Amino acid sequence: MHVTEQICQELSDLEIVRKSLRDVEYFACLYNRYEPKLLRYIKRISYSTREESEDILQEAFIKIWRNLHDFDQDLKLSSWIYRIVHNETVSFWRKKTSYGKNQKVAMPDDLFDGEDHFFGEENAEDSNTRKIHEVLQKLPIKYREVLVLKFLEMMSYEEISDVLKIPEGTVATRINRAKKAFIQEGGKSAFSWS
Amino acid sequence: MDNSKKIIDKIKFENIQPIPRWKFLLKNGAVWTAFLLAVVLGALAFSVVLFSIQQSEFDLLSHMSHSRLEFLLGLLPFFWILTLVVFLVLAIFSVQYSRKGYKFTVTRLVAISAALSILLGTVFFIAGGGEKLENAFAVNVEVYQSLQEKKVRIWTNPEEGFLSGTIVNTDSNNSLQLKDFEEKTWEIRYQDAFISPRVLLEPGEKIKLVGKLTGQQSFQVEEIRPWGGRENRLQRGKGRQE
Repeated sequence: MHVTEQICQELSDLEIVRKSLRDVEYFACLYNRYEPKLLRYIKRISYSTREESEDILQEAFIKIWRNLHDFDQDLKLSSWIYRIVHNETVSFWRKKTSYGKNQKVAMPDDLFDGEDHFFGEENAEDSNTRKIHEVLQKLPIKYREVLVLKFLEMMSYEEISDVLKIPEGTVATRINRAKKAFIQEGGKSAFSWS
Repeated sequence: MDNSKKIIDKIKFENIQPIPRWKFLLKNGAVWTAFLLAVVLGALAFSVVLFSIQQSEFDLLSHMSHSRLEFLLGLLPFFWILTLVVFLVLAIFSVQYSRKGYKFTVTRLVAISAALSILLGTVFFIAGGGEKLENAFAVNVEVYQSLQEKKVRIWTNPEEGFLSGTIVNTDSNNSLQLKDFEEKTWEIRYQDAFISPRVLLEPGEKIKLVGKLTGQQSFQVEEIRPWGGRENRLQRGKGRQE
């Protein structure tokens, strides 16, 4: 059965999961619903190209499909999906950077495609956006990921805790340290936090 | 072709199936079973720690002329403390593998596991589980030095002022003959000694003595204590009935 976009829009995340287990075609609804956000997230933490991001996302969604029965309904489905995508992305990023210790991953040209909200500032100037990403890119991934989840993906501490599988207290500590590292790297006056 | 179509085609083409729910339930069940097992075993270890502390006579430290630290270390049940720590670590490790394990900090996990083991261990100890487990180890594990053996070692130390054994016979002028646990016979004088009310001073009774060595086979006593334990209490009951 072909599932139209209109049918997808009427379904909640949980309904899609239940229907997908009966008819795999519904799984496309889930993919289409999360694809833009997740592609952007993958690029933000791994600086992968569009093709690489799509490959990562495809692999992640195959994992999501295989583990669909493991979804804990106490969590938000989005947190669980982000968790799997995050793990897949970090794994890709580690492979990509493991060829040489000092190797830097180039910032792809299409990084700024689509809407972006940086640190509470909507429609920021492109130069500012680029500057933020240049600083983020220099940070260790454990700092980069919390800053991206908190300030770019606009997640709560609880959601970040569920994505990264760390206690909420650790999320708070890590965000504070990441902010300090960001300011140190980018210059104190460059950005403001909101 | 859009990406969602590609994924659906791949799932269909490679016939990729979701992992059955029972496998996840089994994994989660195994993790929590491991946690419970670790907590219960930790609790048993703690009950033996309590039992050995109860059996230890820390007041003897004041009688020691030297090597007090060595003596104190000898009294501590390291084997059981180590067992408790190992099971605590296993309990923490298993919770971290559970679905919600990441929500807890290591400190909180240590606190929860330790609290459960201590609580349950105290219940085991009160119910006599610690003593039974200790005895079972003493009987079945050859390399294990039981509390009883440790006790004998501590109380077979006449140079330090500690002697123990079975009364062979007693006479009227405050002296008795004692056979220690190494089958050596001693002449014991106990004039002016403090005698525990639980001691009957009868042949066949096991006792502990605090005092000083006065000769090759003679010992002047300052304090007489019962050997302690169930056997002694039973013996005392029999003695009274007779």
